[in-house]
This record gives sequence, C-alpha cells and structure tokens, in this order.
Amino acid sequence: MSVEALLALVAALLQAGGMLAAAPLLRTGIKKMKARLQNRQGPPLLQGYYDLAKLLGKESVQSETASWVYAAGPRAYFATVVAATTLVPVLVAAAPLEATGGILLLVGTLALGRFALATAALDTGSPFGGMGSSRDMTIAALAEPALMLGLFASALSVGTMNLGVLVRDLVQQGPSWHPSDLLAFAGLFIIVIAETGRIPVDNPATHLELTMIHEAMALEYAGPDLALVEWASAVKELLYLTLLVNLFLPVGIATGFAPGALLVALGAWAGKVFLLAVAVTLVESTNAKLRLFRVPELVSVSLGLAFLALAIRFL
Amino acid sequence: MSLLDPADVLPAALTFRLGIIALAVALSGRDFASRVVAFAGSAIASAGTGMLASHVLSSGADVEGVLIRHHASGLSLGYDVDGLSAWFLIVLAVLAVPVAVYSLGYVAHPHLRHRSAFLGAVFNLLVGAVEVVLAAGDVLTFLCAWEVMTLATAALVVTEHEERSSRRAAFLYLALSHLGTGCLIAGFLTLASASPTLSFSTLLSQAPAAVSMPSVLFVLFFVGFGVKAGIVPLHVWLPEAHPAAPTSISALMSGVLIKTGICGIVRVCAFGLGTPLLSWGVLVVLVGGVSALLGVLYALMQHDVKRLLAYHSIENIGIILLGLGAGMIGLAYGRSDVAALGVSASLYHVLNHAVFKGLLFLGAGGAVMATGTRQIEHLGGLLRRMPWTGLCFLVGAMAISGLPPLNGFASEWLTFQAFLFGFRGSTEPLVHLLFPVGGALLALTTALAAACFVKAFGITFLALPRSRSAADARESPAVMLAPQVVLAALCLGLGLFPGFVLATLGPVVRSLPGFAPLPDVSAGHLAMISGLESFDRIVPGTFGVAILAAGVVALLLTMRRRAAARRVPTWGCGGELTAATEYTATAFSKPLMMIFAALYRPNRQVEALTEVSPYFAREVRYRSEIEPTFERHLYEPLVRAVMRVAGGMKVLQAGSLHAYLGYVIAMVVTLVLFAWWSS
Repeated sequence: MSVEALLALVAALLQAGGMLAAAPLLRTGIKKMKARLQNRQGPPLLQGYYDLAKLLGKESVQSETASWVYAAGPRAYFATVVAATTLVPVLVAAAPLEATGGILLLVGTLALGRFALATAALDTGSPFGGMGSSRDMTIAALAEPALMLGLFASALSVGTMNLGVLVRDLVQQGPSWHPSDLLAFAGLFIIVIAETGRIPVDNPATHLELTMIHEAMALEYAGPDLALVEWASAVKELLYLTLLVNLFLPVGIATGFAPGALLVALGAWAGKVFLLAVAVTLVESTNAKLRLFRVPELVSVSLGLAFLALAIRFL
Repeated sequence: MSLLDPADVLPAALTFRLGIIALAVALSGRDFASRVVAFAGSAIASAGTGMLASHVLSSGADVEGVLIRHHASGLSLGYDVDGLSAWFLIVLAVLAVPVAVYSLGYVAHPHLRHRSAFLGAVFNLLVGAVEVVLAAGDVLTFLCAWEVMTLATAALVVTEHEERSSRRAAFLYLALSHLGTGCLIAGFLTLASASPTLSFSTLLSQAPAAVSMPSVLFVLFFVGFGVKAGIVPLHVWLPEAHPAAPTSISALMSGVLIKTGICGIVRVCAFGLGTPLLSWGVLVVLVGGVSALLGVLYALMQHDVKRLLAYHSIENIGIILLGLGAGMIGLAYGRSDVAALGVSASLYHVLNHAVFKGLLFLGAGGAVMATGTRQIEHLGGLLRRMPWTGLCFLVGAMAISGLPPLNGFASEWLTFQAFLFGFRGSTEPLVHLLFPVGGALLALTTALAAACFVKAFGITFLALPRSRSAADARESPAVMLAPQVVLAALCLGLGLFPGFVLATLGPVVRSLPGFAPLPDVSAGHLAMISGLESFDRIVPGTFGVAILAAGVVALLLTMRRRAAARRVPTWGCGGELTAATEYTATAFSKPLMMIFAALYRPNRQVEALTEVSPYFAREVRYRSEIEPTFERHLYEPLVRAVMRVAGGMKVLQAGSLHAYLGYVIAMVVTLVLFAWWSS
C-alpha cells in the first residue's frame, strides 16, 4: 500500500469518526435552540449522546413478520451515510476518498441508504412503515433533480465534479459572491431542509400518525437498530450542512495538515455549521409544517433557483 | 476459435438452430425431449455467436461472410460483424443463454408444458433472427431478418391465444411494427437509389452525400427503428405485448429485442447519415428525456409486475437515448470527447439494461409461476418462501434504480458526465440550456425508478402474504435460480469493473464514423474518468469497500445484543395485524399520483355499501384508474381517421369483377398513352 493510500485511509477513519462524534451535538443543539426560542429550557447539550448510549445498550426487538431485510435496513443506512462522509471535505480542502468519486457518487450513496431504509420500513407489515416509505421516496424523488442541479450549478462554475478539487479551487478563489452562488445556495438550503426531514417539510419532533415521514419509517425500530437510524440521520444532517458551508463559504479551510491551520479550520467549520444550524432553527420555529402536497411547490422553487443559477452564470 | 474459421461460426450457428427447430417440431409429442433439445441447443448456439462477437472485439477485425447465395440470380444474403454488431451480439448472448437455461424450468410449468415444442421452436427462430438482424451486412438480409423477428415475436405474444388481450396485443404490435418497417423500407429505398450496392457499408458511406434531404431520412429511420425500441409516443404496443408473452420470452423482448431498434438508431440515424445535425441530437435528447420520464411515471402506477417492468423498459430506452443524443450533439459541435462519453454511456446502458431487466423479469416469472398471479397487490411475504428469487430480484431492483456500486449506477454516471462535461466544455447557449434539462430529467427519472422499485420489491417480497397463493408459494427449481444468480453477479461485476467494460467498448466507439482518435475514458479495470482526470473520476469498487467497512462498524456496534433479538408481533394499531392492514402498492404510489395528477388524470370511484346507517359501511369499493393519454388522444383519433379513409375506399373496391377489369384496362390505356407521350 502506498503512502498516499495509507494517508487517505487514516484521514477517512478520522473524518468518519469525527463526523460520528460531532453529529449528535448538532441535533441536540438545534433542539436546545428551538426550546430557548419557545421559552423552554430544552435538553442538556449532551442529551444526544445519552440517548444513543441508552439505545445501544438495550435489547434488540424484531417483528415476527419481518425478514432479514428489516435488520439489514438500518445497518445499510448507517454504512452508506458514514461512508459518504469521506467524500466531502470538512476541515481540510481535500476529501479522504476523493479519488473514488465526487458529487454523483455522494448523491448515489445517500440514495442507496434511503433505498435500504425505505425498503426495510415495508418489512414489518405495519401501515406506518409503508406510509413513511412511500412519502420519503416521493419527496426524495422530487428533491433529487433540485439537489443535483444545485450542486451542478456550483460545481460547473469551477469546472469539476470532484468535491475535493472543487473546494481546493474555491479556497484559492475565495468566496465569489456571484449572484448565481447565492441562488444555488438558496435552492440547496431548501433541499437540505427537505432531505433532513425538517419543518416545513417534515417534523422531526412529532410521532403524530398522519404527518410523519421520516419518523414513520423508523417507527418499528427499537434499541440498537433505532440508535443506528437516529445516529445516521444526524450524521447525514451534519454532512449536508458541511457541504453547504464549504461550497458556498470556503473560509478558514486548511490547505495542509499543519496543527495550527487545522485548529483554525475546526473553529471556522464549527462556527459556520453553527450559523447554518441557527438558520435551520429559525426556519423550524417560524414556519408551520406544509401539507404533503404543498411540498412539490417548495421543491420546484428550489429547482427553479438552481436553473436560474446556471442561467445567469452561463447564458 | 482456432479449429473453426470465424467466418463460418455464424452460418454454422444458424444452421444448428434450424436443425434444432426441425428436431423440436419433430419431437412435438414428447414435451420434455423437445424442451431440452430446443432450449439447451439455443443456449449452445447463443454461446457460439457470443464467442464470435468477443473474437471480433478482441481481434479488432470485422468478420464477414455469406449466409445464402443463389447462383442463378446472383442474389446473396451476407453478414458483416463489425464492432457495433459485435457489442449488440454480446448483449444478446449475455441474456439469451441464461434465458434459455431458465426456460428449461419455466416452460415445464403445467400451464406451458404442452406448448414446449412451439415455444422452443419459435424461441430459436426469434434468437436466430435477432442475430441476423444485428449482424446483417446488407439491406436485404436485414429486412428479411427484421420481418422474421417481428413475426416470431408476434407468435410468442399470442402463446396464450385463448386470451383476447393477447391477441389484441399481438395485433397492436404487428400494426405498429409494420408502420415502422414501412418507414425503414422507404428510407432504405431512398438511400439505395444513390448507391451501387445494397451493402450497409457502401450504402451509408456514399449515400448521405447524394441525398438531398437528410433530415427527412433521419426522421423516417428514427420512427422506423423507434417503434421497435419503444420510444414515446410509439411505445403503446410495448406494455401490452411484453407482458402477454411467457415471462422468459418477456425477458428477452425487454432485454434485447428493443435494443435492435437502438442498434439501428446508432448505426443509421445517429452516425450513418453523415455528421449528425444539431437538430437531430436535440430531437434524440428530447425524445429520450420524455420517454424516460413518462416510462417511469407510468410504471409507478402499474401493479401488474410484468407491465411495470415493461414500462421500465421504455424508461431505460429513454436513458439510452439521452446518452446517445448528448453524444450526437457533441459530434455536431466537433467535440469527439463529449461524443465518446455520450455514446459509451448509451452502449454501456444497453448492456446493463439487458442484464438487470432480464434478471427482474426472470425473478418476476418465478414469483408469477409460484403464485399464479401477476398482481403485486395479491403477493407479499415471498422473501421468506422464495429467498433466492427475492435476493436476486433485490439486486436487480437496486441496479435499475441506479444505486452504487451496481451496474445501473455506472452507466447513469457516464450519462451524467456526457451532459456535465459537455456543458462545461461548450460555450453554445443551446447546450447550456438543454444539457441541464437533460441532467435534471435523468436525476428525476432515476429517483422515481428507486421509488417504484421500493414498491415493487417491498410489496411483493416483504411483510405478510396478501393471498392464499402467496402464502403457499414455493421456491423455483435450481435450473431457474442459477441463471438469476449469474445475472445478479453480472449486475455487481459490471458495476465494480466499469473500466473493463469501457476498455471493451473503446474499439466499438472508435469504429463509428467521426470518432477516430479518442482519449481512453477507462483508467484501469476498476475506474472511469470523465473527460479530464480532474473533472470527475470514479472507483466504485474501492468506495464499495468503504461502505462495507462502515457496515462492519454498524454490525459491531449492535453485535452484543444481536444474538438475542426478541421476536414480537408488529403493533397493529390496537387491532389485529393482518394483510388487509398492510400498506398496498396503490397506497404507496398514491402521493405521486396526486402530484402528477395533471398527467395521469386519475379517475377514482369510491362506493360505500351500507345496510343500516350510512356511518357503518359493510363494504367499501374503491376503483381507481389513470387515463391512457396516448391511446385516447393520439391513437384513437388516428384509428378513426384511418377507418374513415378505408371506408371511403370501399367505393373503389366493392368486390365487383367488372369494375376491377375496368381499372386494369384504364391503367393499361393510361400507361400506353404515357409511354407514347413521353417518347
């Protein structure tokens, strides 16, 4: 194994581990900020970790009607999301496994995880699983073109589909503040809200039967299986926010592995993700959940923004 | 290959097939014997032509020869296996061999057993005809084989001729096919008028310069081949005819037969009529995008598993055309690198679609045979009873949904690259408008396909059985499972080694006119690069290992408790959990039906039967159907118009011998006058 491959392997392990470690904090942080906006105290910041630890320690319960697909679903979902973190530059302007693929592989891998979870949700025979699966696949199908176009808009302006190369070029150029970037950012922000199951598309805090989407898919899971789903969803959210901040605000990202630069990068990344988390919180706190059949309108706004972003840059 | 002159392989294989057909018919009283002779023989013959094709690709030299020569008239039917033919012959062999093996088990089913001789003989006729269509060296051979292929297909569609729907499907297929063949004959005659011989090579290399209106020719050929390929709006026969045939035949029809249309489009329309015009490429991209999207949207509403798969064939033909269209536009702008990406993507997807669609049809056939129904609403829970069929179907479902690291992802990745790299490298406003639309359509199509296959797999194979027959289903015999396992392994292999596939495809693409010097888009067997190394590259295998490693972490995290997974009943919302409370396929696709209501124009009726009080329904009947848009708004008016014209013609052709004699005399007189006048 060459030195480069070994380095990539170590970086991949560190980055995946780091994202796994940081993700529960993001989820709890948003919950806490939401609570503060509602004049409540909210959970302690480490609550996410307590929950995961507790769930992982519980016994495994499985439906009698389910097959091996039920157990495979959460594991595949977790595996794809964790693997996907190695395709995205986080602290350094390089992704550990950038040599294996770029934006299309990232989107494809996340789609694989979604497919696994949505399929597994049908396995228990509970109507809720089917409901969640159907709605999640519907929204994902509508969101996919908008997500792709939004990413294409920012990637094509630099001229690469590889996230590592893309962020390196962006760091050299600095933030461009080109109007097309702002449009693409707005479009992608909507999609990130939809993909991570946040209000106004989905409500992560509800288990009300008729409005659940993502939660309905996970409803039949308990104990360690549930822990995997929750954890992976948190990592996925962190992944999307990281992608957004590094694509559109490439400030403070380290270009090498010098300890000082890495510390600065860590601070910058945490700060930028925090800002975006505040934005997500504000959106969640000031909006009502949309009816399912209004979601396509929201998503088509995003699609329109992405098209506009491409149009004003290239036409 | 050393024992045999390559030029003899194809005639030998065809002669062998003729012998098999004769033997199968002779054995028609003894079902088992005629089945084994016909299908085992077909597998051997297909393997032979597959080896010939791979010899052509590896040696880089065409294999030409003569099939039949009639010395008295000097007429001869020749063949010419060039790179493109060889690629499609390999696609055919990759599917035809497993399908033939599978048929050994499938045709043994009590419903079909007594038709063994018929099915075996026509199956051989069909595969042989497709081989000649793909390898034809001249127009005459091509048209003869094309017609045999059409008729053999129609014969297989009416296998269950007792069913009215089968007969109707075959009629529709024949009517549209002959419309297409008519266009092809018109096109070839126009080309032939400017060429000294009828062989494809001279016809296509010399004729374009001599033809005044290439765009008219392009449209004629595009319609002619498009009918066979099933492009929207010429697709209406496909979802009727494919499900009507026995399932193993459906696999062949969806996997390979429609690709003969694609082969023709690539050979003649796209690159045979001179450098493609920009407008042709735009047309192909638009038709491809519409076919892909409408195909998957209609598939979502199907709950008959074979119809669902048939609509997905329309979708995949659309994806193939998207890549091809991007390639044509690239060539029209003189960008042979973009063109190579597009055409490679398209040809790669031809192979992938054959593999995963064949696999899905074979799996569906097993389920249909085991349960006696094609309605997925009556299935469920089959994974426990048919574990191997279920696993293979899942692999096929993931491949067709374009999920990494399976083969569907690889070719769709390449199609995206054709659009993205083409966009990046171009300054043309048209490209900047059209290519993002193409990319967005492809993304939407892929994601909708994933939704459709979550439904198809989940409702069919998971949770509780919804009928007695699903509960009693038994796993297919090994002879039917082995081909599925092989095809599933191919789905994985073709996804993990995209570089190998592209290296094989390289000579094929380079043999097309206009592509001569090309950068290699494969980088080793495991990787693909797009245009430039820094634009995008992919190594699905390595990343697959990363996913597996993360999966192991997930297993370790939950390991300690896994051994003692407690089994409990699913909570049935306070009631008893039965198959009736499960989510149905109709419910699953309902949100999409409502979102795309403008297209589907759903028509639903809910009827509550009550006895005492309107609040306590004894029975609720729900009926929902979507409007068959093309049939109703395009074909019905067309058929009415044709019937009206035909009705008018009755006046001329009323069965009176005197009138007919009068016409003949009038014609002769006119001709004589004309001859006198012109001399």
